[in-house]
Amino acid sequence: MESILSCIYVFIGCFAFCFVSNLRGKMMILAPLGGSMGWLVYLLCGNLNNPIFQSFVATLIISLYSEVIARIQKVPATACLLISILPLVPGGGLYYTMEYCIRGNIPMFIEKAGYTFGTAGALALGILIVSSAVRLWYSIRYFAAKPFRKTP
Amino acid sequence: MNCYEAVNTTIEIGYQLLKSGAEIYRIEESMRRIFEAYGITQNEVFAIPSCIIVTIRMDGAEPVSQIKRVYSTTTNLEKVRRLNDLCRCICKDTPDFTQVQQQLDEIKSIPAYSYGVQIIAFALIAAAFTLFYGGNFADSVCAAFGGAAIKIVSYHMKRFHTNLFFTIIISSMTATVLALIAVHLRLGTNSDKIIIGTLMNLVPGVAVTNFMRDIIAGDLISGIIKLTEALLSATAIALGAGIALTVSRLIFGV
Repeated sequence: MESILSCIYVFIGCFAFCFVSNLRGKMMILAPLGGSMGWLVYLLCGNLNNPIFQSFVATLIISLYSEVIARIQKVPATACLLISILPLVPGGGLYYTMEYCIRGNIPMFIEKAGYTFGTAGALALGILIVSSAVRLWYSIRYFAAKPFRKTP
Repeated sequence: MNCYEAVNTTIEIGYQLLKSGAEIYRIEESMRRIFEAYGITQNEVFAIPSCIIVTIRMDGAEPVSQIKRVYSTTTNLEKVRRLNDLCRCICKDTPDFTQVQQQLDEIKSIPAYSYGVQIIAFALIAAAFTLFYGGNFADSVCAAFGGAAIKIVSYHMKRFHTNLFFTIIISSMTATVLALIAVHLRLGTNSDKIIIGTLMNLVPGVAVTNFMRDIIAGDLISGIIKLTEALLSATAIALGAGIALTVSRLIFGV
């Protein structure tokens, strides 16, 4: 029950973010939906017991989702990705890192900093893998359609 | 068609894309495709987050070059979408440049959401993310006021052309102070949850998602510029909240 509630909170938060980044039309529903889905994936991977890897898997799903939506709705993929990735951004990690730093609790500070950077890295890596794969897929299709074409 | 018109219109499209928060490879590719649609094959386009440089050369003419400096960027995804549609339309139909300019003016005049709506949106973001990070209902109400305060502070700071990082430091400090006061008055219970939820408003989302996509596309310089921006913004968020927390500890000893 709690996990469903948290997905709803993500939806509301991401929906409000659409106003800040001036996203309009159908995307105002589709992009937050991606965010909720990503968080659901994160929770479903709970057995991994590793927040960094869970974020990585969720980012893969979200990036894939936004690439698909981008083709269907004819919008840039970032428009969706930007909103949907919000629940995975390590906002809490950043705060606790700072908090332990000013309290002078160095072992916890290093642990939290590692967690924050790890999560940010996982997000970047997830986006990297999916967008590279999509680019590769499109260039394969481009060359398959017209063979013997010189590389641009 | 003369090459001056081509350069002026195309660089304006690139400038609007860059200002609205599009990725660098999208800007360069759009501009290159527009030139190619009009048969200008000798074109060079170079863009980084703060500047666009274009040079074209038509057969038997002197090369024409233009530089456009970009000072501030906002996120306006609706504009990016519309400009993207415009580029697609130009490449397909190659309309007259006056017609393109007309459509461009129309896109430029799309209004952003009003100040009031944005304040409500900021409040809603803060409230929703406070609940998401495990705060209770009272916390989320406190966070909503913090979120609204962030928008008001950053709006007025922007009016005085304050730089981005100082704006973030002050906004994050204001939000933290409000959260601490709310908890001190027993309106909310978890100050950490309120602060985290409120600060989600300031997270550099565009920079984080775009930097990796720029790096993949081979624009390493732009990627590094955006990474630096993201890291500095994150540091500014932490710094602002940190100052407020330290000062409150010094005074109240909590």
